[in-house]
Amino acid sequence: MGMMASKTQAAKPKVGFYGFTGCAGDLLAILHCENELLDIFNAVDVRSFLMASSEVHDDEELDISFLEGSITTDHQLESLADIRKRSKILVAIGSCACFGGPQAARLGYGDWKERFKKVYGAVKHTVAKPFESHPVDEYVKVDYHIPGCPIDRYQFFFALTRLAQGMSVELTTFPVCSECKWNENECLLLNAQLCLGPVTAGGCDSRCPSHNLPCIGCWGPAAEANVASEIDLLKERNFSSEEIVSKLRLFGGAAMVRRFADLLGIKAEEPARKPRPKKVREPIVAGKAKKRASTKKPKAKSRTKKR
Amino acid sequence: MSLNRIKIESLARVEGHGGITVDFKDGELSKVTVDIHEGPRLLETIAQGRVPSEVVSLTCRICAICTLSHRYAALRAMEKALEIEVPPKVRLMRDLMHCGEMIESHALHVFLLALPDYLGYPSAVHMAPEYLEDVQAGLRVKRFGVRLMELTAARSIHGENPVIGGFGRYPSKSELLRFKYEAESLIPDAERGVEILRNLRQPTYMEEGMTFMCTKPEHDRYGWVADRILVSNGQEFNAWDYHKLTNERVVPHSMAKRSRFQDKPYFVGALARFNLLGERLDGVAGEHFRRCYNLSWIRNPMYNNVAQAIETVWALEEAPRIIDKLLTHEEDPAIVAPSRDKGAGSAAVEAPRGTLYHHYEIAEGRVVHTDIITPTAQFLDMMESHIRVAAKNLTDEGDTDNIELKLEMVARAYDPCISCATHLVKVRGL
Ligand code: SF4
Ligand code: SF4
Repeated sequence: MGMMASKTQAAKPKVGFYGFTGCAGDLLAILHCENELLDIFNAVDVRSFLMASSEVHDDEELDISFLEGSITTDHQLESLADIRKRSKILVAIGSCACFGGPQAARLGYGDWKERFKKVYGAVKHTVAKPFESHPVDEYVKVDYHIPGCPIDRYQFFFALTRLAQGMSVELTTFPVCSECKWNENECLLLNAQLCLGPVTAGGCDSRCPSHNLPCIGCWGPAAEANVASEIDLLKERNFSSEEIVSKLRLFGGAAMVRRFADLLGIKAEEPARKPRPKKVREPIVAGKAKKRASTKKPKAKSRTKKR
Repeated sequence: MSLNRIKIESLARVEGHGGITVDFKDGELSKVTVDIHEGPRLLETIAQGRVPSEVVSLTCRICAICTLSHRYAALRAMEKALEIEVPPKVRLMRDLMHCGEMIESHALHVFLLALPDYLGYPSAVHMAPEYLEDVQAGLRVKRFGVRLMELTAARSIHGENPVIGGFGRYPSKSELLRFKYEAESLIPDAERGVEILRNLRQPTYMEEGMTFMCTKPEHDRYGWVADRILVSNGQEFNAWDYHKLTNERVVPHSMAKRSRFQDKPYFVGALARFNLLGERLDGVAGEHFRRCYNLSWIRNPMYNNVAQAIETVWALEEAPRIIDKLLTHEEDPAIVAPSRDKGAGSAAVEAPRGTLYHHYEIAEGRVVHTDIITPTAQFLDMMESHIRVAAKNLTDEGDTDNIELKLEMVARAYDPCISCATHLVKVRGL
């Protein structure tokens, strides 16, 4: 901090954006910051954002890396290990990276292989070796989690500006219910609707209940949630535990299994595969574009600043 | 110069992870593949046994860029399966949200992803210092698309407001009016995209004839939602016969299955829509179309960029028309409940990058079968074919300088969504 402040021409923090298995919604949510997009690119030195730019530098140290998506292939695992090694701060963005995402809704059932066969039959895949979806922190240390499906742009700005200044980030710990109260929404549970607001992390401004629709839990579990009493409440309203668990798992994946296994009657989780100490292959997220970028200078301002 | 292999490890400025490999044998081009690196999600198997509303929320997560097209297709297919007839106001709201997605997606592609290619920059941000006004115009249009999605769907990505049988909440009259005027005022910004692309020379090294396909709206109107599918050979099909159009096959180098029509690759997307229905375009967009259209449009995929730019203008003209009609419906209809708990339904919707099919079978209130055929999965064969022609022409002429970029430009013109392409597979039975 002190060091940064002492330099008038402080080096901008180097930032990378990476995507693994998901729908690209969290990276797109960042591209949806039209009014701020040019500012973001000015405030930090974006070294890799494949979705937005073909200029990629994937062999250097980063101050902050933002990761979207869950890990579902051996290539991704290697790439993840490589990014972790190069990054001072690693931030998981979106419910896929934080909890495994919708694709992890059956985590713990142990039926992944069977399901894979159902979808792809006997095809031999040469591209990569796939496996059950797991969140990023099953494999490497994650410094911050920004949940949401997708993330909210204001939580992202908050995190980016704080981190860029060398400060820490603390996101909401209260559930969607609190936001509902502030928005003066009528409680949907009183209307016998299966709303997950009481156990879901806030930060979306209670988007769905504000539209008269029950929360489906896309922000994942709230730190301060009293799951036991919520489940009792729902059972009182004649929702079956099976139904409740199914909904909780759709976005809460690994986190739900981890935190509420006993309460929800969920089987123990399939152990995640740990990254093997193997030579790091060319990461999927890097590649040709990197080479091109280094030979072909952008016409506009050059980003290579000599220290 | 002798080439063995051109390998583009990762396509940039597209959605999802994929690459291109071009192989040569004895100096002759032998194989071209578009490789899909996307990890499997098996969402089709996650959908199994869930209630329809959960499946709608799930399948819209296939792709963030086409989230509302997915949602629209899922809602229509589910409503057919459950015998739900929604009131006109619901249909108008859905068409309005669909305009938002087209505007956002096209503006993103034209201004931020494709234009940097033509102008020689790695990204729109690099382009900004010299083309600030254009980049800002593009961002303004894109921003409006995002806000229109937020207004109608509650969020711009995976908005939950559109549900089976209707909407949770409707925008107010004054909100609608504000969006109407704003849409109209942004038409000149969108026209900028058309003008820039019109004045640029389109490369021709990939030209090859193609078959086109798109939905065919009723009453000679231009539009994106219909039960009939039109093919450029003059044939027409029902949307629920989509498997006759998209007969799929598996290829070893990709996690995505491939579609062909009568054994030939085909093109879906804005260029297909304009080649098949262009004469239906009216207003400012119609004028631009007639000014820009030429015979190269039937063999050069680069014109897809121009078609998208003009379609953005059309969407900005269409949104106010929809809003005017919406304003005549005072009452906000309640969500229509299903009249049965089993059935099957399929629906087609034009996503920004082409025709999207959703098909569901429901038994005892649970989804037992899901089949989704995405645009990218359909046009991958055509895209591969154009890349092959490009690679052949460029190497034959010894024009191999920057060949990767030239091949990538062809791929990018298709506006592929690679993460959606891995989700066209079927699962049946629990
Ligand atoms: S968390 Fe949601 S928005 Fe983000 S990648 Fe996963 S499915 Fe997409
Ligand atoms: S209310 Fe719930 S489902 Fe809706 S956006 Fe917020 S967290 Fe997601």
